[in-house]
Amino acid sequence: MVRKRKGRGESDPAVSTVVVMALYITDSGPNSVRAIANLEAICKEHLNGNFRLEIIDVLQHPLRALADGIVVTPSLAKLSPLPIATVVGNLSDKSGVLRALGIVGSAR
Amino acid sequence: MNSALPQLNAAPSGTGVERDFQKAILRLVKGGPERQAIEAGQIDAIIDPASGNSILLPEARRALIERRVGFRSLIGLAFDWYWEQDEDYRFVSHRGATDDADGIAEEGIIGKALWDLPIDNMSEADWRTHRQQLEWRVVFRDLEIRRADRGGEVRYVSISGEPVFDDRNHFKGYRGITRDITERKQAEALVQQSQRFDRAVLDALGTPIAVLDRVGSVLSANHAWRDFATKHGGVGTGVAAGANYLAVCDDAGGTDQVDGMAIAAGIRQVIGGERALFRYDYACDSPTARTWLALSVTRMPGNGNASAVVLCEDITERKRGELLLGLELAVARCLANATTAASALQSVIRVICETQGWDCGRYFRLDQSAGVLRCEQSWGVSGAVVEEFLEKSRGMVFRPGAGLAGRVCQSGQPLWIIDGTRGTAVSPTALAPETGEYDACVFPVTTDEKVIGVLAFSAGHVREPDDRMLQAVRSIGGQLGGFLLRQEAADSLRRSEMRFRVLNDLTSDWYWEQDSNFRFTQVVGCSALGTAEILGMTHWELPNVVADEGWAEHKSQLAARWSFCDFEFATLHPDGKRAYYSICGEPVYDAAGIFTGYCGTGVDITRRKRAEIALRESEARLRAALAARSSD
Repeated sequence: MVRKRKGRGESDPAVSTVVVMALYITDSGPNSVRAIANLEAICKEHLNGNFRLEIIDVLQHPLRALADGIVVTPSLAKLSPLPIATVVGNLSDKSGVLRALGIVGSAR
Repeated sequence: MNSALPQLNAAPSGTGVERDFQKAILRLVKGGPERQAIEAGQIDAIIDPASGNSILLPEARRALIERRVGFRSLIGLAFDWYWEQDEDYRFVSHRGATDDADGIAEEGIIGKALWDLPIDNMSEADWRTHRQQLEWRVVFRDLEIRRADRGGEVRYVSISGEPVFDDRNHFKGYRGITRDITERKQAEALVQQSQRFDRAVLDALGTPIAVLDRVGSVLSANHAWRDFATKHGGVGTGVAAGANYLAVCDDAGGTDQVDGMAIAAGIRQVIGGERALFRYDYACDSPTARTWLALSVTRMPGNGNASAVVLCEDITERKRGELLLGLELAVARCLANATTAASALQSVIRVICETQGWDCGRYFRLDQSAGVLRCEQSWGVSGAVVEEFLEKSRGMVFRPGAGLAGRVCQSGQPLWIIDGTRGTAVSPTALAPETGEYDACVFPVTTDEKVIGVLAFSAGHVREPDDRMLQAVRSIGGQLGGFLLRQEAADSLRRSEMRFRVLNDLTSDWYWEQDSNFRFTQVVGCSALGTAEILGMTHWELPNVVADEGWAEHKSQLAARWSFCDFEFATLHPDGKRAYYSICGEPVYDAAGIFTGYCGTGVDITRRKRAEIALRESEARLRAALAARSSD
C-alpha cells in the first residue's frame, strides 16, 4: 500500500518550503497506526499544508523498504529539503520528529 | 486486500520463546535508535535485510490477526461466495464465505465460464453484453442470474466482479463475489404479487379511486377513475396517474375556481394530518346538464409514498331527489301560506321555476261548464322575451285534446317537449304558439285522479325527466289540485255565508248568543236594548222588561233545551209606552254534545204590535159604537 498525501498548498510565510516525507508502516499494526496519527497532527500543526507524504506498507512493497534502507517499521524518512533524516518508532516523540523535519524550535 | 497479504513471518508463541525471538531480532538491528524503539515497544516489524520479508513483532502480529479475523467475519456478512477466474473467464476458485455453501459451488464449476452454467434468465444478447464488459475489463456489479439447484428449486444469485492485473499490468482474470438473493427475489415476487392483487381489487371497485402522494401527485388510479374522467367534467375528474391533483385544483378557473380552491385546501389538510377525512359536494355544469359530484379524501398514513385516497362519486341522482323533495316541500309551504287560489298559483309557479331553472310557468284552469282550458295565472323571470311570451298566453283557450295543454288535460299524463318537437306527435308550427322557441314541461293538476287544470313550464332547455321527476310533478299536481278544490269549496262556503248573512240581516235586527245559564255573551246588530249593557243578563232580566205569564212557559222551554220561535216580550219605556220584541232561538251543543247555551235572532216588532193594538182598540171602539147604535 502506497498512499501519497499532499498538503493544501496554502502559503505560509513561516513555513514556505515543501517538506517531502516517506512513512514506512506495517499494514495496520498498532504502532504504524499511531505513527500515522501522530504525523498527521504534526503536519497539521507545523507544516501548514506545505508537505508531501508517501505512506508505504512494507508488507505489500517489501523491496521498496529494502531499497530505501528501512530496517524497522514504522519509520519516517524526511527526503526533502536536505539533509535526509530518519525517525523510527511511532513518532510519539514530537520534538524529535520536529528536529528531524528541520522545524527546530517550533515544538510547543 | 487481506487475501493479498504475503505470508507473515511471525514469532512463535510462548513467553520464553518470545524473549528469545526478541533477542534474535535485536541482532538483526544494528542501529541504536532502532534498538531503543524496539525496546520501547514502538516497532511493529523488522525488515529482514536478506529476504526483504517483514518479521512481525508479537504485538503487531496479534493486532493483524485480530483484524483479519474481524474482516473475514465482516465480509462473510456481505457475500456468500468468493470466486476467481483466469484470463479466459473460467472459474479457478470458488469458496463459500459461509458454511452453507449450497450455491453454484456444488455444480463443480471450476474450469467453466459463467455462460457455460445452466442459467435460464440470460438471453444471448445479455451474455454478449456481459462478455463485452469483461473484454473491456470493467467492474461489473449485481449481475442477477437464475438457476435451478440440485433439488430443482429456483435460486437467484447476484454476481459482482473486478478485473485483476499483475505487477506488469497484465490481465490475469476476474475475481469477485456472489450473493444468494433468492429470499430477496422471492420477497420481491410476493410484493409484486401483492401489488397486482391490490391493483386488481382497486380496479374491481366501481367507485372512482385515486391515490395521492404527499405533494398531491396521483400515484395510481383505478379503472373506474379513468372511466369516470371520460364521462364527467368538473374539477379534478380528468387527473391521470402521474399528474398533480393539487396543481389541477389550484389552476381551476372560471366557475370551477371556488370548488378548486376548496378541494385543494381540504386535500392539503388531510395530507398534512390536520384532519382524517374531507368531504365536498359540488356541481359541474355542462352545456347539456348539471352533474353533482361528491369528493371524499381520506388520510393514508404509514403507506410509503401514499398519503391520501381520493374517492369521487356521481351523486346527481341523489341530489336531484333531494332537490325534488325540497321542491315538494316548498310547494306545500306555498300552499299552506296562501290565502287565495290566485296567490297559491303564483307562488307555486314561481317556486317551481326558480328551483328547476325554468323561465316561466302558466296555469290553465279547466272551465267545466264551457269545457275549455283558460290561461288563468302565470309567472316568469324578468326579460322582454319572457314577458312577451306570457302576454301572448293571456286569454289563450284550449279545448281538451288541442294543443299541449289540451292533450295533457285529455290524457292526464305529463308531457315534455325537448328541443322544440322531439317526442311529440304535434307539428312544430302547432307548437310554436304554445312554446315559442322554448322547451316545455306540461303536467296535469288533479284531484282524485280528475284533471282540473294544467301547469305548463317553459325554458331554453328542459332536462329529460326521470322517474323521480315524474313522481314529483304528479305529487305537485295532486297537492295543487287538492288545494284548489278545497279553496273552491271554501270560496263557495264563504259566498253561501255571505248570502245567508245578507238574508239574515234582512229578516232580523240583531243576533245574540247565550251561555248555558241563558246569559248574553254576544249581541250583534242594532238592538234597541243596547249591546254592552245587557251582556251577562238573561232575557227576563233586561231593563224595564214587562213580567207576564209568558215568561214562565218560555223558561220551561229553555230548560227543556227546546227551540223557540217568535217569543214576544215587552219593555216599558220611561214615557210609559211599551216596546215589543220577538225572538227566535235554538240550543247550541259543543263537539262532545254538551249544551253550551242558546243562539238566536231578535226583531223589534214595536210598530207592528202598536199597530195591532191600535187596530184592536179601533175595532173595540167600532164594536162598542155599533153595539150602542143597535141598542139605540
